[in-house]
Amino acid sequence: MDIYHHLSSDFTAILITLKLAVVTCFFLALIGTPLAYFLAFKSKKTKPLIETIVTLPLVLPPTVIGFYLIIIFSPKTALGKIFIILTGEQLIFSFYGLVLASIIYSLPFWVQPLQASFEKIGRDTIRTSYSLGASPLDTFFNVIIPLCKRGFFTSLIISFAHTLGEFGIVLMVGGGIHGKTKVIAISIYDHVEQLSFGKAHFLAGGMLILSFIILLTLFYFNKRTVVRVK
Amino acid sequence: MSNLSVLLNGKIGNLFLNFKHHFKNDGITILYGPNGSGKTTIISALGGFIDNIETKIIFNGKELHDTGKYPPNKRPFGTMFQNPILFEHLTVEENLDFVIKRNQIKTQNKITITKEYLINYLELNSFLKRSPANLSGGEKLRVVLARTILKQPDYLLLDEPMSDLDIKYKAKLLVFLKDINKKFKIPMLYITHSIEEISQIGDQIVLIKDGKKIDSGRVADIINKSSFGDLTGKFELSSILEGMVVSYDQNLHITNLNLNGQNLVVPGLPGDLNEIVRFRIRSRDILISSSRLDTKITENELQGFISMIEIENNSPFSELVILLKNFKNNGIKQKLRARITTYNLKNMKLSLNDSVFIYVSSVSIDRQAYQSK
Repeated sequence: MDIYHHLSSDFTAILITLKLAVVTCFFLALIGTPLAYFLAFKSKKTKPLIETIVTLPLVLPPTVIGFYLIIIFSPKTALGKIFIILTGEQLIFSFYGLVLASIIYSLPFWVQPLQASFEKIGRDTIRTSYSLGASPLDTFFNVIIPLCKRGFFTSLIISFAHTLGEFGIVLMVGGGIHGKTKVIAISIYDHVEQLSFGKAHFLAGGMLILSFIILLTLFYFNKRTVVRVK
Repeated sequence: MSNLSVLLNGKIGNLFLNFKHHFKNDGITILYGPNGSGKTTIISALGGFIDNIETKIIFNGKELHDTGKYPPNKRPFGTMFQNPILFEHLTVEENLDFVIKRNQIKTQNKITITKEYLINYLELNSFLKRSPANLSGGEKLRVVLARTILKQPDYLLLDEPMSDLDIKYKAKLLVFLKDINKKFKIPMLYITHSIEEISQIGDQIVLIKDGKKIDSGRVADIINKSSFGDLTGKFELSSILEGMVVSYDQNLHITNLNLNGQNLVVPGLPGDLNEIVRFRIRSRDILISSSRLDTKITENELQGFISMIEIENNSPFSELVILLKNFKNNGIKQKLRARITTYNLKNMKLSLNDSVFIYVSSVSIDRQAYQSK
C-alpha cells in the first residue's frame, strides 16, 4: 500500500514534469521564434545586448535566477498582484510560476539553434522569396520554416529535454509542492535525502534513459547539427 | 515604351551613392562600372531592399519608392541576384511553380510566357524532378532564369547572371535573353563586366563609377568613347560596326558584309542574307597605313579619314578615330577606333583628315559578339 502510494506520487511528478515541458515549449515557440528571427535578420545595433540577455540563463547559477524570480513573482509586485486578480492564486509556488521560470531558463536553448539555422539560410533566400512575389508571412511559412526544419527540431528537442531536467529554479520558484510544482528532479532529490535509493533509481534511471533516447534521436536525424552552448 | 526613372542619394558603407538616370527603352540596358561602384546597390534599391538612403523610383507612373504601397514582394520586377538561390526544400519544378502560383492575376494584357516554353528552350526537362542541391552551376542558372522570367515581370534586373558559366553555354543564354527581350517585350537591366556580353546583347549602356553616372547612351556610341576606355583600361577599347550580310561561302565558312559600300569578311554566319549585323573590333587589332599595301596581308581593307588623334602622355600609344568612307552616300557615319604606337604614327607622318587604309584580320573579329539588329 505504501509502495503504491509512493509510486502514484512519483507518477504525479512525472505528469507535472511532462506537462511543464510541453507548455514551456509551446510558449518558447511563440516567443523564442520571433526573437531568433529578429536576432538573425533584423537587429543591428541592439543585437549584442539582446543576445546577452537571452544567453544569461546559460551562465548564471539557477539560484541567482530563482532568487530574482521569487522577488518578481511575490504578491507585492505588480506582476504578482495582476496574477492574483486574474487567477485568485499566487504566482509564486504555482504551476504557472514554474512555466514562466522555465521559459526564461530554457530561452537560450530555443533561440540559439534556431537563430543559427535562420542565419544559415540567410538574407538572400528571403530576398529571393520576396522578389518572386511572396509576402513576408508567406515566406516565413513556405520558405523559412521548411528550410529550417532541422533548426526547429533541434530547438524543440533540446528545450524539451532541458526543461525536463530543471532543478534549482523549479525548487526555488515552485517550492516542490506535491501534486502542484513537484517535478521529477525534486522527487529524486527527496528520495535520496530519505535514503530511498530504490525509488530514486526508478526515477533517475527513467530520466537517464529518456534523455538518452531524446538526444540519440536528435543526433540521428540531425547529423549536421552542432549544439552550441556558449 | 517602358519608363523607369531612378534617383538614389546617400551613403551605404563606404560608398557615396549619387545616381540619377532615366531608363527609357524596351531593349537591354547594360550597367557597367568597376567593383564597388554601386551597380548591385542600384538593383537592390529597385527591388526595394535598401531603405536607409534617399530613394526615388518611378516606373511607368507608379511611385515604387512608396514602400508601404510597394514592398519588395509587390514590385513588378524580376530580379536575378548575384548569388542566385533556388529553394532546396522544393524540386526544380516546384521552384518554378512557386512563382507561378504567386503571380497569376496580373498577366492579362500581356503575352504570358509559359512554363513549357521555358522548359523546352532552356532544356530543363531532364532534371525537373530533381532537388536543386544536385544541379551543376549551369543547370542551376537556367532554372533561376526560368523562375525569374515566369514571374512575368515588367522589367528584368540581372546582376552578372553569366559570370560562372562556360563560354559555350553563355552564347546560347545570351541569345535566349535577347529572344525573351524581343518576343515578350520585357526590358532588361543587365550588370556585367564582360565586354563580349555588352557588345552581344546591349542596346543601351550606363557607365557608373564611385556611385555616380559617368556616361550613358547607345552601346555602339559609348563603347569607343574615352569615358568607356577610362573604365576598362585602353587595352580593351573597341568599336562596334554594322554591316549587311551579302553572301556566305559555305566551303570556307566566311561571310561578306557590306559596310556602306566597303566589303568586310567575317568568320562564320552572323545573320541571314540582307540582315544588318553588329560586330566588335578591338582597337589594338587594327593596322593603319597611309598608302595602299600591294600584298594581301589580311582579308580586309577598309578606307577612311582620320577624324581624331589622341597622343597619350607618358605612354607609347596613341588613339586614332577613323571615319569610314561611305561609298553609298546614304549619310550613315561609322567610326572605328584604332590604337597604335606613337612611333608608328610619327613614322607614317599621319595627321588629321588624312585618308588612310585600314587592315584588319578576320580572325580578330569576335564571333561571340555578333548581334543581329
